[in-house]
Amino acid sequence: MSKLEGHIALVTGGNIPITGGNSGIGLAAAQEFDRESTRVAVKLEHVTRTYRRDAFEVRALDDVSLTIPTQGFVAIMGPSGSGKTTLLNLLAGIDHATSGSVVVGDEELTTMNDRELAAWRARHIGLVFQFYNLLPVLTAFENVELPLLLTHLSKAERKTHVESALKAVDLADRMEHYPRQLSGGQEQRVAIARAIVTDPTILIADEPTGDLDAKSAEEILLLLTQLNRQFHKTIVMVTHDPRSERFVDTVYRLDKGVFIGSTTGGMSATPLRPSE
Amino acid sequence: MAKFTRLMFKNLLRTRRRTLLTILSIAVALFMFAVLVSLPTFANQMLADTASSVRIISRTKMGFAYPLPEAYKLKIATLPHVVAVAALVIYGGIYHEARDQFPSVATDAEEIGMWSDWGLTGVDEFKKIKTACLMAQGTMRRFNLHVGQQIELRGTVYPFNVTLTIVGTIAKGPVPSFLIFRRDYFEEAAGNAGIVHEFWVRTDDSRVVPEVAAAIDNQFANSPAETRSASEAAAVGSILGRYRIFMRLAAFLGLVAVVAIGLVAANTAAMSIRERRSEIAVMRSIGFPSGMILSLLVGESLIVALSGGAIGCGVAFGLFKVFALNADALGPFVSLHVPPFVLAETLGVAALIGLFSAYVPARAAAKRSIVETLRLVD
Repeated sequence: MSKLEGHIALVTGGNIPITGGNSGIGLAAAQEFDRESTRVAVKLEHVTRTYRRDAFEVRALDDVSLTIPTQGFVAIMGPSGSGKTTLLNLLAGIDHATSGSVVVGDEELTTMNDRELAAWRARHIGLVFQFYNLLPVLTAFENVELPLLLTHLSKAERKTHVESALKAVDLADRMEHYPRQLSGGQEQRVAIARAIVTDPTILIADEPTGDLDAKSAEEILLLLTQLNRQFHKTIVMVTHDPRSERFVDTVYRLDKGVFIGSTTGGMSATPLRPSE
Repeated sequence: MAKFTRLMFKNLLRTRRRTLLTILSIAVALFMFAVLVSLPTFANQMLADTASSVRIISRTKMGFAYPLPEAYKLKIATLPHVVAVAALVIYGGIYHEARDQFPSVATDAEEIGMWSDWGLTGVDEFKKIKTACLMAQGTMRRFNLHVGQQIELRGTVYPFNVTLTIVGTIAKGPVPSFLIFRRDYFEEAAGNAGIVHEFWVRTDDSRVVPEVAAAIDNQFANSPAETRSASEAAAVGSILGRYRIFMRLAAFLGLVAVVAIGLVAANTAAMSIRERRSEIAVMRSIGFPSGMILSLLVGESLIVALSGGAIGCGVAFGLFKVFALNADALGPFVSLHVPPFVLAETLGVAALIGLFSAYVPARAAAKRSIVETLRLVD
C-alpha cells in the first residue's frame, strides 16, 4: 500500500454516516450513484457580474455559461482577476449575478432574497476558505458544530455528527484543540469537516491549498478527492495550484471574466464508481 | 436559543479584560444613576407616604420656631374633626460637637400617641419617666447608643442642657432622625412654662385636613399670634422643596452618567464587532441569517450591560443597606435607600444601553456584503 492509499484508508475508515441528514451518504448514496451522476449540480447560463469601483465598472464575469455534473470534482483556474472567485461566490449564494441564471441543484438562486439564500446555504453549501476562517474562540469540535446549530438536531445528535465529520478528516483526536493549537493543514481539515458536517449538496472550496505547504496541500487535495469519491460530494474548487489538476475530473478555465474552455483532470476523466 | 448562549459567552470571553472593564464601567455609571435617581424618587415616595396623613402642623405665621400661646391647644381641640392636639417645642440641642446635631423636640407625655404610626417603642416608660426620650433608630446607630443609656444635649437656642434617658426608639417618619423628650422636663429646665413652637393636630379623616387647617388659621386670624397650618404632606413638601434643585441636579447627573456610558459602550461594541467582521461573514456564509447574527451580537451586548447594571444596582442597594447613611447633613434623606422601582429602572436602563450600543454596528455587520467583508472578489 502506498503512502497516499494508506492515508485515504485512514481517513475514510469505511462508510461513515457523516450527517444522517436529508440525503444521507455512504452505501445508499452509492447505490444511486449512476442515476445521480447523470444529473446536473450546477448550471450557469449567460451569467454576468459587474462591480462598481468608484467611477469605474468592473466586469468580473462576462456572459459565462457552465454546467457541472452532480458528484463531479471540478477546478476553476485562471490568472488573478479572471473572475474565478466571483464565479464561486455566485455558486455559493453569497453574491448576486448582475444578469443571467444560476441554478444549483434544482434551485434558481437569482430569484432568492437574502433570507432564502441564507437558509439555502445552510442546507446545500459547504464552504472551505483559503485561510480556513475558523472561529478562534471555539474548539475544533465547536467550529464543526457551528452549522449544526442552525438545525433542529439535539445536542447528542450534533455530537455524533461532529465526531463523524472530524473522524472523516482524521482529526478525531484534536476535537478539543483550539485553532491556534493546530497546524495550517489541520485547521483546513477542521474547516472541511465544518463544510461537510451538514451533508451539503455541493462543497465549494476557494484556494483550499493556497496557504499550505506542499505536503499539507497534497493531503487536503487527497481528502477532497476522498470526499468526492467515497461520499460522492460534488466539489467545485477555485485554485491556482497546478497540482490540483491531477485530482479533479475537469478543469474550467477563465480569463478576464470569460470562460475559455475546459480540460479533463489528470487522475481520471470521470469520477470513480464506488466499486472502484 | 440556549445552544447559542455558549457561543455568546465564548465571544465575550475572547477579550476578557475589555469585557470586564466594560462591565465595570457600566456598573459604576449605573451605580451613580441608581443613587442619584433614588434621591428624587425617595423624596416623592416620602410625599406619597404622607399624602394620606391625618395630621396638621400649625406654626406661627412669622415662621419656624417662633412661639405660640399654649392656650391655643384647647381652642384647637374644640374644632370639628380634631381628634388630638400635641404641643411641640423645638429644642435643637447638640450631642457632642456642632456636627452631631439632630432635630430634638419636646412634647407632652400624654400626647406621644400622636406619632404612633412612626413605630415607637418604650412609650410606657416615656410616660413614666420625666427625663425619658425616644430616639430615632438611625441616630442611635450613628452614635452607637442603646436603650437605657443616658445622654446630655447642649442647648443652642436655649441656654441650658438637658440630660435624657433613652427609653425607646422611633423606627420611621418623615424626619427619621427625631429625638422626642418630655415638655414638662423642658419647662422645668427652662424655668419657664408655656413655650410652644408648633401644634400637631390629628383629624378623624385625611379628606378633612385642608378644611381643619383653614379652620385653625381662621380661629386665630387677627390675633397677636396668627397661625399658618398645613397638612403634614405639605410640611414635608416644604422641607423637601429646599432640596428640589439638588434633586433635579441629581437626576440630570444620573442621566449624564447614563448617556456617557452609553457612548462608551457603543464604542466598545463597535470595536468588538469590527474586529469580528470576517468571522461574522463566515457565519453568514455557512447559513446564519442576518437576523440571527444581529440577535447574537445584541445579546452579547445585553449580557455585558445587564451584568454591569446588576453589579451597579447591587452595590448601590448594599451600600445603603450597610451604611444606612445616617449623616444628618442629608436632612430628610437620612434613611435614603434605593427603592425597588429605581432598581428596576436601572436594570431597564442597562438593557437599553446594551440594546442601543450594539444595535447599529451589529446591524451594519449583519447586513454587510459577505463578499466585501471576506474580500473574496478576484
